[in-house]
Amino acid sequence: MSISEYFQYPVFQRAFIAAVVAGGTISLLGVVIIMLNLTTIRFALMHVALLGGAVGLAVGAEPLVGAFLAIITGSLLLGPFSSRLSLDTGITGAFFMTGSIALAFLLFYKAGVPALDVFSLFTGGILSLGPGDLWAIFALGSVILIVYACLFREMQLVFYDPGQAEWLGVPVQKIKNGLLFLTGLSIGIAMKIVGALLIDALILLPAMTAMGLSRSLLQILLLSSVLGMATAAGGLLLSMIFDLPTGATITLVGVSFLGLSMLFRRL
Amino acid sequence: MSLSVERGEFLAILGENGAGKTTLFRAILRLLPDLEGTVRVLGRTIKTPEDGNWVRSQAGYVPQNRDGGRLPISVFDAVMLGRWGKSFAYLRRPTRHDREITSSILDIMGLQGMSFKDCRSLSGGQSQRVLIARALVREPSILLLDEPTTYLDNSSKQMLEQLIGQIRNKLSLTVLMISHDAEYALRMADRVVRLQCGHIEKRLEAVS
Repeated sequence: MSISEYFQYPVFQRAFIAAVVAGGTISLLGVVIIMLNLTTIRFALMHVALLGGAVGLAVGAEPLVGAFLAIITGSLLLGPFSSRLSLDTGITGAFFMTGSIALAFLLFYKAGVPALDVFSLFTGGILSLGPGDLWAIFALGSVILIVYACLFREMQLVFYDPGQAEWLGVPVQKIKNGLLFLTGLSIGIAMKIVGALLIDALILLPAMTAMGLSRSLLQILLLSSVLGMATAAGGLLLSMIFDLPTGATITLVGVSFLGLSMLFRRL
Repeated sequence: MSLSVERGEFLAILGENGAGKTTLFRAILRLLPDLEGTVRVLGRTIKTPEDGNWVRSQAGYVPQNRDGGRLPISVFDAVMLGRWGKSFAYLRRPTRHDREITSSILDIMGLQGMSFKDCRSLSGGQSQRVLIARALVREPSILLLDEPTTYLDNSSKQMLEQLIGQIRNKLSLTVLMISHDAEYALRMADRVVRLQCGHIEKRLEAVS
């Protein structure tokens, strides 16, 4: 089957549009994660979602709802928790990550929650998206773009020199907490839609590649967005052409871009 | 502690680590909201958050030199960010005046040739000049310098000394400088005080 023939199927059309929109917008969150050193926090949020899913199943509710609520609560709490206790976000992230996974396993054991049902929350598929999922991705992408457009200079200040930002009157902690919440919200929505593996590929890899090649925050954001689109859409097409698993192919395209950028910087 | 500074005066503040020098600056800029006592700047008592915004609009603050962050940013953009809250913030974009004043300050500081240079690649002396330019771009009445010479070699110190003298005269600034270097402070300032545990321990006469 040729590529043009794939585009005649609504399922593929939705997948392609989702890849372009999610790749172009979710990748912007990676810049925040890297700049504010939130990599551990992002992992922690995934584990908090796992705990939420387990709690959902244990109380007879929809596990996805449990996971979503947990991730929203976690992303609202993690920032203030770190700043109030003056803890590094890495330490807070490790605390929530290990605590959540331990509690989740206790629930698996004591409440007889089937672990595989919970882990299935992390295996979304871009080729199984419904029209509702596509609207959710559009809404999420729009929120990300609006927030970044409104807060561009403030983000530039917070990333460049948080001390100066603070004395100029920029609400540094509120902006950091807001961006963390947006990241959590995005992971929560995108996790089920595209799967956990793909979230990482979309969030972190384009931003890491762009950061090595750019000379300003605007360039980083634009390049991250373009690379995110190229990674997701390119990986989707390649997976179709060569009959490969979609998530893994998209991730490998992202890794290839990152590898090439490292090579380019060394030359 | 009671301390007053005349308009146009250059006051240097000496003291060991933990003596309260930086806390004094934070109090002036209303970054310590629970502070007891009274701070008056240019005739206005600084009490409410609005007073805080006002005093910060009148002041330029130069922190201790530091390693550049991870963000790639040009010298021009880094300096222009000093105008945040003055004329642009959130959705408001920098105006032509913001760009013009940034260019003229870069000129005064001898940084015009490196407007597009990435701040991460600057030397210690150049970074210090960027930090001072970032403070001056706010068109301040008061300049607060927090140990501006900490990481500088002797030639950069001398250059900075000349530069601060020039801009002080050119822009009619009141300058408060924290320093560990008594000799440097005595040479540069009109008046020098030494802080210890939040109190003025000694008032020293400047050489000039």
